[in-house]
Amino acid sequence: MAQTTRRRTADADVVTESEISSETSTATKRPWDVVVWNDPVTPMNVVVVIFKRIFGYSNNKCTQLMLTVHHRGRAVVWTGERERAERYCVKVQVAGLQCTVEEAAS
Amino acid sequence: MTSRLFVRRRDGRIEVRLNEAGRDVVRVAVRRVVAAEHDLDDEWNATLNGPIDPSRDQDDPLLTLARQHEMNSNAELALLTIDETFLNDGEAWAWLSTLQVALRATASEHGLVSDERMSGADEAVLTEVKNLQLLLFAIADVV
Repeated sequence: MAQTTRRRTADADVVTESEISSETSTATKRPWDVVVWNDPVTPMNVVVVIFKRIFGYSNNKCTQLMLTVHHRGRAVVWTGERERAERYCVKVQVAGLQCTVEEAAS
Repeated sequence: MTSRLFVRRRDGRIEVRLNEAGRDVVRVAVRRVVAAEHDLDDEWNATLNGPIDPSRDQDDPLLTLARQHEMNSNAELALLTIDETFLNDGEAWAWLSTLQVALRATASEHGLVSDERMSGADEAVLTEVKNLQLLLFAIADVV
């Protein structure tokens, strides 16, 4: 990406600046997933309570997410901006569940 | 039918109906979380400090510090309220979070990472796990 920028700078400065800014904003806006992983010991109702408390979802949604974790081994529980995803991940980890963030599949 | 271990009262407080043996289970688990937070060599440390973003070589130090601070605050609050008869919502949440951390750390420490491994586990470890599960199941019902 840096090489492209230098070459275009020689041709037309204005175009380069707008392209850089648009590329940067696309990169920062790329969504990130908060992923909760299954484990064989955590009671199901505990997972539901933790989702409800941290994300404020309805009982139904929390139960669905818990069942997805249980049956598929993992579930994406929130998607959005990277910094917020990381903060949510920390909250879930503090509550004792296994959780990571990853770039959302396009 | 077994009596409930935690009961939500009409005034919003949560009554703890654990006997001394039950409180001892909580006490041991909470103390272990507090100790593990302060000892990098503790076997529970891997569970307490799991990766946030595995695609990075190292997580943001501010985030890991925030996690350590929050986990420690919960464990300290649980420890402070271990002998209380009534808990408020924040205290009950601290109990639940800390017991859950202890449960998963216990399971990881003994390699209980699948249902198959669970069925072949040592009886003493299984009892420890079941006690924590029972407490968590009960407190999650009222939080």
